[in-house]
This record gives sequence, structure tokens and C-alpha cells, in this order.
Amino acid sequence: MKRKGLVGLLALVVTLLFTVSAFASGYIKIGVQAPITGKFASEGQSIDKAVRLVAKQVNEKGGILGRKIKVITCDDEGKAVKAAICARKLVDAGVIAVIGSYTSTCAEAAEPIYYRAGVLQTSDGTSDTLVKHGYWTFFRNSSPNSAEAQFTAEFFLKKQHYKRIAVISDYSTFSTNLAQAVIRDLKKMGGNVVYYGKIVSGSQNFTPILTKIKTYHPDVIYFSGYYTDGGLIRAQMVQLGMKADFVGGDSNDNPEFIKLAGKAAVGAYLIDVPLPNMLPYPAAKKFLKAFRETYHENPASIWTLFNVDGLRVILYAIQQTKSLNTRKIAHYLHYELKDFPGITGPISFAPNGERVGSAYMAYRIGPDLKYHIVYKEK
Amino acid sequence: MEIFFQQLVNGLTIGSIYALVALGYTMVYGVLKLINFAHGDLVALSAYIGLVIIMQLMGALSPTVLIIITFIATMIITAIGGVILERAAYRPLRKAPRLSAVVSALGASLIIENGIMLIWGPMPKIFPASVIPNANYSLHGVYISLMQVLVLIISLILMVALYLFVNRTKLGTAMRACAIDQDAARLMGINVDKVIVTTFVIGSALGAVGGLFIGMYYRGIYFNMGWIYGLNAFVAAIIGGIGNIPGAMLGGMLLGIFNAFIAGYVSSSWSLALTYVLLIVIMIFRPTGILGERVAEKV
Repeated sequence: MKRKGLVGLLALVVTLLFTVSAFASGYIKIGVQAPITGKFASEGQSIDKAVRLVAKQVNEKGGILGRKIKVITCDDEGKAVKAAICARKLVDAGVIAVIGSYTSTCAEAAEPIYYRAGVLQTSDGTSDTLVKHGYWTFFRNSSPNSAEAQFTAEFFLKKQHYKRIAVISDYSTFSTNLAQAVIRDLKKMGGNVVYYGKIVSGSQNFTPILTKIKTYHPDVIYFSGYYTDGGLIRAQMVQLGMKADFVGGDSNDNPEFIKLAGKAAVGAYLIDVPLPNMLPYPAAKKFLKAFRETYHENPASIWTLFNVDGLRVILYAIQQTKSLNTRKIAHYLHYELKDFPGITGPISFAPNGERVGSAYMAYRIGPDLKYHIVYKEK
Repeated sequence: MEIFFQQLVNGLTIGSIYALVALGYTMVYGVLKLINFAHGDLVALSAYIGLVIIMQLMGALSPTVLIIITFIATMIITAIGGVILERAAYRPLRKAPRLSAVVSALGASLIIENGIMLIWGPMPKIFPASVIPNANYSLHGVYISLMQVLVLIISLILMVALYLFVNRTKLGTAMRACAIDQDAARLMGINVDKVIVTTFVIGSALGAVGGLFIGMYYRGIYFNMGWIYGLNAFVAAIIGGIGNIPGAMLGGMLLGIFNAFIAGYVSSSWSLALTYVLLIVIMIFRPTGILGERVAEKV
């Protein structure tokens, strides 16, 4: 009991110390924890570039609360061990908030360290376990799979008015979870799921299951697996003369889907978070322009923008609360921030640090073999 | 009823591909009593070779000529690959214990699979859409594409040709003799090495046709697809009776049709598991496969 109190006190002192040191240095220090090298290097470097760009923009306007922003980057290489080392380094450097990391694994490995130090953290990780620890310091700025299922159900019933829905998944955890979440949400909204079946990923011959599905006369087939199978399912649907629509989950969003399905790709629907240049928000257009002018390239992916939105929202909270106290900032983000105009859409957070709403969109592949937005939230 | 016939068409298409690949397993087993585990990967390799040839020649030739050249060239190159495989991995171990040859076969399988990955990368490669015209026919609600018709017809022709070759020619007779007793065949003046090489040439060339069908019909090819096709074809060879050529054809067709009917009438999620249950049932009643003959143990 006594020991616990002591640890608590120590944590408080440490927190205070860092808060004080952040004040004392004259800079507001922001950490970037990202995979600068390794398999995800392009994503990590893009996040770092984007964060530095925002910092530069803010500094040119005189900074925040009269202080300039200083960005400190640490490379976690996409590895959990390195992530923990980075977290300690950044905490020691006196940052008040950390943007990152790109992977759920690294974000999760660093979470408790930032929590104990009272340092804010935002990540684009999609894993649902990230927000289950109850750390007040963590904000997930991303579109989790549960949101995709919700969006899919709404698209099916409110926009397309499908009456008979068939669902296919493969055997992977990701795909079955997504399919089951979609079915659950569809049933909740009164949708009629006439068939659910699984395929072996990579087995290529999907005509037997499709012929069976044909007997159920569905008006749509939803597939929650990967594009390598999705493209073939679509092609074989057309070959079997099926008139039902095809809707693919986010893992079907790959240029190879169109190559695999060939002409059959026309008319297929895909559901995913948008590509950076498809974001309709004014903040997005402005930021992308600045990014291209500075770095002469596009951000690596939408995930860069989710991460940089995390920074923008924290800076906004600092301005609103006129405070560098992370507790106050977190409280503001949890309970007061409503529909901040983010690059990736309006941002609000639930009390568990989960971003409210999602950026999912439904695309239809047109005769030009390009994506056309047919449905988005709000 | 049209669903029944549709599933039959579905099953026969994939079944023909299994049968073509299964022939490679069964012929090598017949002559060498060896399971050539690298055969599936050779089939995968043939699909990649075919893709390279198509990409090089596309546009320069008319589609019909392109397809014929692609088939012939791929069959030749894959046959050479099969001969190299036999020379490098199996011939040095012919007198060694059976297990050494099996390990060597698995090793060769890994070498080919990883070789494909190193050369062409781990991402799937995709055949161009326009090689075979995308025609689709509907007969009373049963849909069949031009590619499916080609798969069925070419497979049938090749299988009949193989059957005639094995049963009506001198080399085919020598092959059957080697399958029964190699030493006796050698005493009769048969060049056993030549027969074995011929077996690998034919098996690999038929596998190459299977690989090209996979590429042209399903369009997506993967460096590790040899495993899943090899496994199914191997099972097909066992169902039919390994070592028996008509057995491999029958086994392939049956496997494809079982799979389609189980997926269609029972449960698609369970189709693979139930197919193997069926295999076990066949093995219980006919341990040597449907057309396999009871072989007296040599003492």
C-alpha cells in the first residue's frame, strides 16, 4: 500500500518535472516515433516529413503560446523492442506529445511508457487492443475495422437498399472478424443476410461456392478478404453470369484487383479509407499542396495524414486550453473537442481515446477502370 | 438441374488441371517409386515461364500463333527443367535409401519455390486479360467460357495421346516394363536411364500445360502456388491409384467434381475437409486407389 503511494508520488513528481522542463526550454517539444528505416520506411519517413512541415508552418506564424515547436524523431524500425527504447528516449528529451507509431505493435509497446510519463500519444494503428488499456494519454486517430463494418452496413441498407445479401470471407482472423462484424451490424439494422461462407485463400477456383450462392439469388456479394482472391471472385461471378453486385472490403483496394478481374472489375464496389488525393476536405487540399511544394512528392499513404492530424489536434488543444499540462489537454480532447476540421475529416474523440466516426468511403470502379466515390459518411 | 450441370462444369475444369498435374506424380512414381515433391513447384515455374514468353511476344504475333508458341516453348523449357531436376536431385540418390530421395525432393521443391520468389518477387503476377478472348457461352442457364472449353478439350486430347503412347508404342512398353521391374527390364536390353528421362520429360511437359491453364484461366500466379496445386494433384494421383496413368486422370476429375459438389450441396466452408474425408474412405476400401492394383511385396 505504502509502496503504491510512493510510486504514484514519484510518477507525479516525474510528470511535473517533465512538464516543467518542457516549459523551461522555451520550445514545445514534439516527438515522432516512426519506422524511419526497415520494411515500413517509406511510411515512417512520410510521417516525419509531414510532422515537420506542420511544425514549420506553425513556427512561421509565431508558434503556439509564444513558443516555437521543436520536433524530435526516433526510429523504431517497426520493431516492438526499438519502440520501447524510443519511448524512453523521447520521454527523456522532454516531449509533451508523441506522434506515432505507424504500426499497431510499436504504438502498443510504447503506450505504457508514455502513460507513466504523462506524455500524450496519437497513432494510426488499427488494432482494436490499442484503446483497451485505459491510458488517458493515448489517442487513436484512425479508422478501425469496427467502423468499417458499421459503414458497410449503412452503405448496403441506406444507399444501395440491398434485399438479399451474401457474405464471403477467407479463414484469416482479420477477414472472418470483419465479415462477422458486417453481418452483426447488418442484422442490427434489419438487413437480410441469406448466405455466409468461407473460401480458402489462394485456392483460385471459387466457381463452386459462387454457383451455390447463385441459388440464393442475392443482389450483392460482400467479400471481406484480400484482393488476390477478391479479383478472381469478381471475374468468376461474371463468368457464371451472375448479376449480383460485388462489394469488397478494404483489403481489396489494390491496383492488382482490377488487373485480376479484368473487364469484370467494372461495376465492382470497394470500401476503404480514401487515397490522400481523394479527400474532399479543404484542410486536406491545403495540406497536400503544401506537402507537394515542400517535398516534391505525395504523402506515402492516408496513414501519414491520420498521424499529422493527431499533431494538429493536439496543437489546437494546447491553444484552446492555453496550457502545456498534458492532463488538461487530454481532458479537452476527450470531452470538449467536437468536429475539429481535420485533413481526414471531422475529428472528435471518445473518452477511451478512440476517434469518433470514420473516413470510410465506397467506390465504384467505372468503365475507365478508375475509382468513383459513390458514398461517404455524412 | 442447371445448378448440377454448372457444378459439373466447374468441377471438370479444375479437375482437368489436377489430372494433368497428377500425371507427373503418378508416372514418376510408377517408374521410380518416388514421390516427386518438386513437381508442383515445377508447375508453378512453368506458369511464370509462360507469362514471360507471352509478355515478350504479345503484339508481335497473332493471338492463335502466340498461344501455340507459348504452349510449345513452355512445355519444352519445363521438360528441360524436369530433366535437370532428375539429374541433379534424384539420379545421384537412386541407390540410396528411399528416405534420402524424399528429402532431396523436398529440398528441390524449396529451391524452385524460393528461386521463383527471388527472380519474380513475392507479389502475385498477373496474366494479361487478352490472351484468350473473353467469350462466354450460356446453354440453358449453364455458363461455360471459351477458356474452360479449351482446358477440357486440350486436356482430353493430351490424356488420350498419353494413353496411346504408353500402350501402343515401343518406348511406352519399355516404360511399363520399367514400372514392373527395373532390373528385369535392364536385362531385356531396355535403356532404363533413357526411360526415366522420358518419364520426367512427359510428366513435366504435361505439368507445364496445367501451369499455363492456371495462369490463363485464373490469371493470378504466385510463387508458392505449387504447394496447393501439387497437394491436390498428389491426392488425385492417390485416389486414382498412384502409378496408374488412367487412375491419375480419373482421380483428378473426381477430386474436382467432389470439391464442387460438396461446396455446392453440403458446405463450401467444409468442402476441403470433406473431400479429404472422402479420400480416407476410398483408402479404407481400396488402399491402392480406385484403379490401383494390388502389388505383391517383393521379398
